[in-house]
Amino acid sequence: MTQLSPRISAYGDHAILVQYETDGFSHHVSDALHTLAASLRKTNIWREIVLAYNSLVVVFDSGSLTLESAKRRVEDQIMRHGNKAGKQTDRIIDIPVYYGGEDGPDMATISQSSGLSESEVIKLHSAEPYRVCMMGFIPGFTFLSEAPKKLHHPRQATPRAKVPAGSVGIANWQTGIYGLESPGGWQIIGRTPLSIFDKDREEPFLLEAGDKVRFVPQ
Amino acid sequence: MSAPIITVLSGGTQTTLQDAGRHGYRHQGIPGGGAADKLAFALGNFLVGNPWNTPALECALGGLHIRFERETVVAVTGAQMWAQVNGQNIPPHKAITVEAGDILTLSYTRAGCRAYIAVAGGLDGDEFLGSRATYTPAQLGGIEGRALKTGDVVKSLSVEHGAINNLPAPFVPMLSNHIVLRARSGPEWELLDMDSRRYLFTTPFYATSATDRMGSRLKGDKITLTEPLYMTSSPLLPGSLQVPPDGQPILALADGHCTGGYARALQIIQADLWLLGQIAPGASVSFRRCFDGEAPKILKHRNSFYSSLIPGFSF
Repeated sequence: MTQLSPRISAYGDHAILVQYETDGFSHHVSDALHTLAASLRKTNIWREIVLAYNSLVVVFDSGSLTLESAKRRVEDQIMRHGNKAGKQTDRIIDIPVYYGGEDGPDMATISQSSGLSESEVIKLHSAEPYRVCMMGFIPGFTFLSEAPKKLHHPRQATPRAKVPAGSVGIANWQTGIYGLESPGGWQIIGRTPLSIFDKDREEPFLLEAGDKVRFVPQ
Repeated sequence: MSAPIITVLSGGTQTTLQDAGRHGYRHQGIPGGGAADKLAFALGNFLVGNPWNTPALECALGGLHIRFERETVVAVTGAQMWAQVNGQNIPPHKAITVEAGDILTLSYTRAGCRAYIAVAGGLDGDEFLGSRATYTPAQLGGIEGRALKTGDVVKSLSVEHGAINNLPAPFVPMLSNHIVLRARSGPEWELLDMDSRRYLFTTPFYATSATDRMGSRLKGDKITLTEPLYMTSSPLLPGSLQVPPDGQPILALADGHCTGGYARALQIIQADLWLLGQIAPGASVSFRRCFDGEAPKILKHRNSFYSSLIPGFSF
């Protein structure tokens, strides 16, 4: 059972870190952090509110807010929500995926290590919706909640120089989507034709942390 | 409106259009970016009479050659590059008038890393999420989201501006190739072994050639953790000093990744973030520990000093 009491500490002089100690992925922690982020977004005193798997960072202007009062405001929000997930109003977004073949060059690797056939891998990977836990390290990169245990697989020993935009991959227990073409070491099992990030689109971001996505095999 | 004002003859090492940045999107993987040295950028705009956050050119290391297409007022601030107009030296930190056809050249920097060329009325570029700052990894803002190259034409933004200003000497930042950054502990500070904690504040590091707007890889005494760390990807900020397993720290800069997976040993204080933009490859970088309650005082003093000169500016 995950302990649901985060550590709240200073991150330098102008940010506060909320950190849960978890071993691997925890739905409880992820839900609690999303609730916290949503309530923190209701005020405009934070310069940035950045969510990750088991932590959250708020950045503030230390010229207009002291570290102590910033910390107190974050603690108050956590108290108010009792450290648990509030009512989630999840958007569920369908992501069409072409699994295997040229779009998923590492499908054979995952199939072999899991002992499943390609169609079983596809069925398993797309069975349940995933939560978007974190966006970044580059625009559009979508870090999702834990993949089914059988599909867990380490990153490639040598990262590829180019992973096409839309590639869906696995790294250890994580699964995720490359929003832009970039170098990368995830095991790629498929690709979506949707643009997760498109600077020229009226709404440039297709997803945000807290959303749920469902992979739909094509 | 939006008439061509600059033609690029040579873009130099890396020259980009920058403004005060697009803040509030780190949760989408988009760094705030903007002028790497916010202070030099603001001073340039102040000199030519612009609001401090007006888009200007940021030239890293030097080598920029540009031709003005009409008469305007410009100022060069930041890194000490030998600036000339038509082969005649021009003073830094001073607004000067240039004519159509005049050529401005910046030589290699002698101190600092980035110079700013502010133009009265500002410079135009692609706008994304309310900012024209260039972010090259995702081709956002600026001129097609990339560094300037030969033949590019930059247009005037025509923002309302006032008369030119003089910069009193006490306001000119002192730059050298020995950068001292004041820091507080980062989230994983406690995981460093005792020797490493001491090295961080007592020995200088050197910025390697792997130094750009995203970060600066430093070289120096090996920094080690008491035990290997397997960290889940976590938020990362400009001014965070990360320690990867090879023990050579990486300082995140204005365009740094929004998340990272290495121990965050130090965090540069808000008042010193501007100086990150002046770390040139080869510069020495040392860290000075800020004690409890010291950082807000430094910031308050710096803010009141510069905001008395530049309306609306803060670090």
